[in-house]
Amino acid sequence: MRRALTLVVSGLVAALLGILALGGISAAATATDEEAASKAKLVSEAAKRAGKKDPYAPAVYGDR
Amino acid sequence: MVEPTDGVEAGPVRRTRDTLPLYAIAAAVTVLVLAPLARPGYALVYDMVFVPRQPLTWDLVAPAQSLPRAVPMDALVSLVTQLVPGWVVQRLALAGAVFLAAVGAGRLVPTERRAVRLFAALAYAWTPYLAERLLLGQWGLLLAYAALPWLVRAALDLRAGRAGALARVVLAAAPAAITPTGGLIALGTVLVLASDRMRAPRSLLVSQRMHPHRSRQALAAVGVLNAPWVVAALVTGAGGSSDPAGVAAFAARAENWAGPLVALAGTGGIWSAQATPASRATPLVPVATVVLLILAGVGAGLLRRRLPAGGAVRLAVLAGIGCLLAALGVLPGGDAMLRWAVVHLPGAGLLRDGQKFLAPYALLLVVCAALGAERLVARVDREVAGVVLVGLLFLPVAVLPDLAFGGAGRLRPVSYPAEWQRVAEHIEEEPGEILSLPLSAYRAYPWNPGRVVLDPAPRYLPGTVLTDDTLRVGDAVVAGENPRVREMRRALAEGRPVRTTGVRWVLVQHEVSGEVDDAEVLGGLERVHDGPFLTLYRNPETVPQPGGSGPARLAVVAALTAALLVVIAAAVSALHRRATAW
Repeated sequence: MRRALTLVVSGLVAALLGILALGGISAAATATDEEAASKAKLVSEAAKRAGKKDPYAPAVYGDR
Repeated sequence: MVEPTDGVEAGPVRRTRDTLPLYAIAAAVTVLVLAPLARPGYALVYDMVFVPRQPLTWDLVAPAQSLPRAVPMDALVSLVTQLVPGWVVQRLALAGAVFLAAVGAGRLVPTERRAVRLFAALAYAWTPYLAERLLLGQWGLLLAYAALPWLVRAALDLRAGRAGALARVVLAAAPAAITPTGGLIALGTVLVLASDRMRAPRSLLVSQRMHPHRSRQALAAVGVLNAPWVVAALVTGAGGSSDPAGVAAFAARAENWAGPLVALAGTGGIWSAQATPASRATPLVPVATVVLLILAGVGAGLLRRRLPAGGAVRLAVLAGIGCLLAALGVLPGGDAMLRWAVVHLPGAGLLRDGQKFLAPYALLLVVCAALGAERLVARVDREVAGVVLVGLLFLPVAVLPDLAFGGAGRLRPVSYPAEWQRVAEHIEEEPGEILSLPLSAYRAYPWNPGRVVLDPAPRYLPGTVLTDDTLRVGDAVVAGENPRVREMRRALAEGRPVRTTGVRWVLVQHEVSGEVDDAEVLGGLERVHDGPFLTLYRNPETVPQPGGSGPARLAVVAALTAALLVVIAAAVSALHRRATAW
């Protein structure tokens, strides 16, 4: 009984991790150039709204 | 279970049945991480700049006015790209770093269980450290990260008196030493793991052939590998101190609710939010870090028993020093100490971005966690063990899935506009100092959308390129060290025409931030190229002047030659001993 329970629990955890890993990889694989650029644009706009320096401004090495 | 105590090698891992899955998983990880690089072009992001053919200029070999942050890396890239196109070099460097990191970690784990090696390989090549440094474009540091498990293994073998270990120490340290930080990590590794003072008891030596001075020879050899950047730092006109504002700007950063120290414990915590994968902000990430730490704690005892006496302790000391350097900027009193050091101790500016020294800790964490997994599955039956190991193999990827495909699309190759080549040809005909305007260290080009990259001009154009070395991190401004750039900045601020400054060429980059006041600044210059992205002006008041060598620069070349000779000697020695070493 205990062995079966261990097997089921570890199997469920492994399956969950597998789904997270494969799902995440699929999402990363389908990220397009346009998405990356628009994500950067969103971050830039959010920074401007918050009165902060745009982290994607050419002169800025990065933001903390 | 056999518990070897006389070396790192736990079993006959070289059998195809054992090694093939390790190489296969390393290849799979490499393909998964760098898949976008299958497209032609250059991935240009932050500090990662490759160009079709990097000219072999004096300023790239031995910068006269700036700190040698890319010495001897730039000189080596310049040499290699005379024979091989830059896009090939970029792919070889990045793929080599990821692949060798995975294989090296897998081979380092003292175990006979294949799945444990595979877990170590995957976990070491899929760390936040690797992801963050890759997204910041620091490929030289990634080579050091990849070389580290090989270096640790060679250093432990050297200490155990294995034949051929000295040559392997040098060969593993060589790729690490292409940057000052990697060189220091390599030197520290050899110092801590193979030093004479803590030599293994004679009874534990595998071979009595070990020369009593082997460790000192290894230290000297790795010291020579570090000589190019040390000599370049001694002869540069940039001085040795750095702006203390960089301490706060480049200190470890919290990636989620758990704070910077937990981020560092999970091998993340880089200062840049843009170089941090989005998944690191997930609330459950600290939980995964704790799981990994518990696993590592469980495996630490096994590592201590399986490595030669003192080996695990030395590794822990090395990792501890790395952690301390990484956390110094956020520890109470540590930031003040660092600020003092970067101003008063020459070269201490290297410690500002301390997170990069976390590599030995990442290796120890992964090796211990792999052995912890082995201990865990030893307590359960075969079926459950298989399921647990499969789950553990998924863990690093599940926690950081957006490292896949070049950080979810952040590494995308692009092509340089053709006019870059035309501008380079103009300058090649009449060599001289080049001023890159608007003054800015980093650029965001419309042909490289959504990415910021270091100005490619110093690596693309055949001459000394003056480009801004001021770093802007959020609202903080970290001053550069180049006195000639400082002089140019002052001249521009005063509105003096560039033709009076002595530069031969002025390159104005369009569609990037900043403005150049044409009439005032560029007055009196001759326009020789005018394109959509670049305009090149010649200064008629300055005569063409090829960059001179001088004794200081020849000293750097001598150091570089010495380092190359050491590597060649080690390679010849290793080839003679192939049957015993590799």
